[in-house]
Amino acid sequence: MKKKSIFTLCACLAVCLALLWLLQALLMPKYMGSVKEGALIGEYYDNAGNNDVVFIGDCEVYENFSPITMWEEYGITSIIRGSPQQLIWQSYYLMEETFQYETPKVMVFNVLSMKYDTPQSTGDQTQREAYNRMTLDGMRWSGSKWNSIQASMTEEEKQWQGQWSYLFPLLRYHDRWSQLTGEDFQYLFKKDQVSDNGYLMQTGVKPFEDEHIQPPLVDYTFGENSYYYLDKMVELCKQHGTQLVLIKAPSLYPVWWDEWDQQMVEYAEKHGLLYVNLLEKQEEIGIDWSQDTYDAGLHLNVYGAEKLASYFGKILVEECGVADHRGDAEISTVWAEKVKTYYQRKEALQAQS
Amino acid sequence: MKRLIAFFGILCMVVGFAACSTPQTTDIKGTTPNVGNPGDPNAYYFNYKGTDIRLNGDMEVVLNALGEPKNYTEETSCAFEGLDKTYTYDSFVIQTYPKGEKDYVYAFWFLDDLVKTPEGVKIGDTQAAVEAAYGAEGYNGRNAYILKKDTYSMTIIQNDGAVSSIQYTITIG
Repeated sequence: MKKKSIFTLCACLAVCLALLWLLQALLMPKYMGSVKEGALIGEYYDNAGNNDVVFIGDCEVYENFSPITMWEEYGITSIIRGSPQQLIWQSYYLMEETFQYETPKVMVFNVLSMKYDTPQSTGDQTQREAYNRMTLDGMRWSGSKWNSIQASMTEEEKQWQGQWSYLFPLLRYHDRWSQLTGEDFQYLFKKDQVSDNGYLMQTGVKPFEDEHIQPPLVDYTFGENSYYYLDKMVELCKQHGTQLVLIKAPSLYPVWWDEWDQQMVEYAEKHGLLYVNLLEKQEEIGIDWSQDTYDAGLHLNVYGAEKLASYFGKILVEECGVADHRGDAEISTVWAEKVKTYYQRKEALQAQS
Repeated sequence: MKRLIAFFGILCMVVGFAACSTPQTTDIKGTTPNVGNPGDPNAYYFNYKGTDIRLNGDMEVVLNALGEPKNYTEETSCAFEGLDKTYTYDSFVIQTYPKGEKDYVYAFWFLDDLVKTPEGVKIGDTQAAVEAAYGAEGYNGRNAYILKKDTYSMTIIQNDGAVSSIQYTITIG
């Protein structure tokens, strides 16, 4: 009788947990429709391992570099771990987590996020929390994820002990039940890959026409917290024998001030890092702002991303010694499939636009 | 045993639906900045040719009074809906945020000495002129006066002893 009770208790517990898991899976946003950016971080795990180059950063990496082009032209195996408005501490912990899966030859970090010293400094906290979710919810469970959550929470989230809602996302999304769509059921168990090794393709064209003017700042000095995490990146890459390369992508806005650039130039010199401000290389890259952007200069479209990948791939080969793997049959087979998917996606998106 | 099953059932419901200490969320995909209090009469403003241009003010009213700007740009944000707009006139720039069907003033700043604050300060003025108008309380000890009122801020930046920039913005966060 006692045995039967224990069995029933365990069965009840298992059923409850399964129901809660199912409910959570249903209520969490799928990011398969209009806001695909939220799915990017989670896609890494299916493509992890054997990447010589890993890009980490905000939209300026996942919108601007095509890994497929770098493979086709240089045989470089690369992947992007990008998410919208990814903050530097999130980049650091993603970098730390990446080393659990692979040890790339080069880590490329986009430095725009140096301008945000704290979660509060990004502005609207409701939107900040939503951006946090797009980076953190997609990460698999690890110490890196937990530390990233602690570093990322807004003041409001801290007040209501928000870390538990990252551990149990059902606490965050419980009231989405009234907003469920067909997408939530369709992608309940299996999601589509929305990116090509982390690159989110756009084929539209919206030309850059006028300069995006911004008022001058009171203080251009990057914050202590930003430097703290940049120092940690330098140290982490050194520990793993990986070359850290700093870049500023050629997006025309938000403004990248000369004073900011100078600080990065000096930091790179001090630490013996390669820093490439690609805004200064626009002509060499061949970016045509009337054709190569889909949102008037904030991001490149696929035509611009292919040009940038072609230019930057050469730097990776010549200055970082990244190898050409096109002669490796096993790797080539894997990448042939990725290339095929890329061109199918490109064709489909071109047909839509 | 029935009690046990009931307990777990209630537990599911409690965890799943009654966790209301978390913020009430709309669909995360539709999140737009939660910035303003449109039409707030206490917000910072300046006057140009008889028209008050005020933080949180209706941009349509400004456009109707001042006409089209000499330059206009739109900025999207990564992943989110909504469009921030920038209107550049000869002597000042206005940025807006969208709320509902309308655009409201989010920030403005001066470009030359042909416009001045309601207290009479303009680009090129001395530190003494700024302190005469606003006092010394907001001085950061280096290069700027930063004044705050409710969720608004006004920043006056100095360069080589003279005002080089005057900016007003809604403080969000």
